[in-house]
Amino acid sequence: MSKHVVRVCLVVLSVILLSQAALAQVTLQFMGWEASPLETESVQRGLRRFEELNPGIKVEYIPVGGDEYHTRLLTMMAGNAAPDVFFINAEGYYRNFARRGVLLELDEYFYQSLSLDDFIPMEQDKMLVDGKIYGTSSCVVAPVLYYNKDLFDKAGLPYPPSDPKEAWTWDEFIEVAKQLTIEQNGRVTQFGVYGFENMHPREAAIYSNNGLIFSEDYSKLDMGPKAQEALTKILELRTVHKVSPPAAFLEQSGMNAAQMLQTGRVAMVADGSWALQELAKMNFSVGVGVLPIMERPITAGTAHLHSIWSGTKHPEEAWKLVEFLSSEEYQIGLVREGLWMPNRAHMYELEDRGRWMDPEVHPEGFEGIADYFADYVLPNPSIFVPREAWDIFEEELDKFFLDDQPLDKVVENMRRRIDPILQ
Amino acid sequence: MKLRKLKYSDSFWAFILLLPNLLGFLIFTVFPVVASFVLSFSEWDLLSPMKFVGVSNYVNLASDETFWKVLWNTFYFTLGTVPIGIALSLLLAVALNQKIRGVKLFRAMYFLPVISSTVAVAIVWQWLYNPHFGLLNYILSLFGIEGPLWLTSTTWAMPAVIITSIWKGLGFNMLLFLAGLQGIDSQFYEAAKIDGANAVRQFFHITVPLLAPTTFFVTVMSIINSFQVFDQIHVMTQGGPARSTSVLVHYLYQNAFQYFKMGYASAIAYVLFIIIFVVTMLQFRRTKSWAIY
Repeated sequence: MSKHVVRVCLVVLSVILLSQAALAQVTLQFMGWEASPLETESVQRGLRRFEELNPGIKVEYIPVGGDEYHTRLLTMMAGNAAPDVFFINAEGYYRNFARRGVLLELDEYFYQSLSLDDFIPMEQDKMLVDGKIYGTSSCVVAPVLYYNKDLFDKAGLPYPPSDPKEAWTWDEFIEVAKQLTIEQNGRVTQFGVYGFENMHPREAAIYSNNGLIFSEDYSKLDMGPKAQEALTKILELRTVHKVSPPAAFLEQSGMNAAQMLQTGRVAMVADGSWALQELAKMNFSVGVGVLPIMERPITAGTAHLHSIWSGTKHPEEAWKLVEFLSSEEYQIGLVREGLWMPNRAHMYELEDRGRWMDPEVHPEGFEGIADYFADYVLPNPSIFVPREAWDIFEEELDKFFLDDQPLDKVVENMRRRIDPILQ
Repeated sequence: MKLRKLKYSDSFWAFILLLPNLLGFLIFTVFPVVASFVLSFSEWDLLSPMKFVGVSNYVNLASDETFWKVLWNTFYFTLGTVPIGIALSLLLAVALNQKIRGVKLFRAMYFLPVISSTVAVAIVWQWLYNPHFGLLNYILSLFGIEGPLWLTSTTWAMPAVIITSIWKGLGFNMLLFLAGLQGIDSQFYEAAKIDGANAVRQFFHITVPLLAPTTFFVTVMSIINSFQVFDQIHVMTQGGPARSTSVLVHYLYQNAFQYFKMGYASAIAYVLFIIIFVVTMLQFRRTKSWAIY
């Protein structure tokens, strides 16, 4: 009898102990890069909310400086000490890491709670690697045309349109840029436009001119006359029309695009949609328009994904975090601040826009920009090729933009050097 | 009995006391050196198992046009920094070896760049090189010269990096030369003065030859350092524009940590090692005749 009691007691005890263990906290490590203090703050606010919703899970956030981020991630994986969940750059790294088998395949989790069709098409393309999902989209960002309203008012010019259907043609755009370029004593004190030679606006222009950089299956370089025409038109902003400052002007001035716009050194800037977060906090009246079109209105998007390490000990909990990070709730926090644009198709429906547009941040006419992101955004080609290939593309383009080398020769060099990597 | 003997022997204690250093050297220097030699004959991305590929990394290097470009850039950088850097720091050392007011302050000032963080230095120089608002082009404009675009010009980016590197390294070499100068016995100068040699003659016939051991050391170290340059290039230009400032170590870094080709990167490291080894050996051989007194 007493033996039986002891046995029952033991069983009860072990059940209690076991359930205790199950209730015990799981700590997830989550690594991201620090793009701006504002972004880190938003991420941390989001993580606190996640911990409230999931009392059993604690998240330890590890922000890492931008440049060395993926190097560090790879080394941690090699040392079998990687974070459970992390940001991963869509450009050059997401596909690379996925194919090396270090990202947990998410299909079984993803399709249980999310639907691929719910995402805007470009985000679907970005997430799928050989038909499978290894990371969920955080958001979308793409270049737009920012302008300083005061400079337009002073010149008595109409603002750049924000409705993609009314976008300026390239020629109309050049005309305006000329009127906004001001010279004093032989020195240009205000340039019309800056930014088209940079990554993203450059690719958007190529797409807008119905050009391509790579073949559709990304197996070879395919820069035909259309792409070359777009690049030539960009160069001519500086060399022929003299409305754009020398390349790398902003990086070297110690000011970023937003500051140059604010101080009136440049009237229009083609830059990523993410810049709105900073611009909205600056003390001048900023406007957002769509990029001028060459043949069709288009912009070229990107943005990081959230992935899980294939070596994680807590895949279930890690997925909960990734699911939260791709939830509308989390996303809207960053979207309302102007840093991100929504990645869900339905969020662009007219009645849904009020949930994420903030009049304090998103300037007048932003409805048009919402249309732009809903229907006119293609993935930046850099998402689909190895970093090595993209570096060569950039290196050769430098020769065209900075070294006056003829474009056909540059493209020939690219083909010779990039094709062996892509095959 | 034997143990006791060993325990108290001097070499045992010497070994024990050196152990921390030796271990560090073995783990962080000898092991990586050997491992990267093995790696240079394999294909490895840190994650998947290593694959032995024989000499194909070296064969690929020979036909990699980027490799030849960065190799040339490395020599260009070395030829640009070492001779001018040594000449300037020698002149500076001689000047600051005089009995002038505030000499210690000047020495400290010239040494300051050496102990400053390379990253901070590189960022400040980026500003100086700014074509529109930078100090350098402003000064040039006072002489009616239109300054180049510096860091965004494929022609001028390398000279810009070279100037910064010379400036940064000047103080260190100056210090070595100062030590060398103070080791020269003043009786040589006195004798020369009696013989009627002027300052220039004294410099070329006493200072320069008697400084030869220091010069030799400075030259060898400067060449090795400039073959291994990385920091300022990584910060100032990231190897651009159009790879005009990309050097061997920068390309090695890209291959290892951006393209995840550890084997290929190790092969580059060994080529760099061989180059430095050969150059240094040549210097040693040539020097026997002129540097030892």
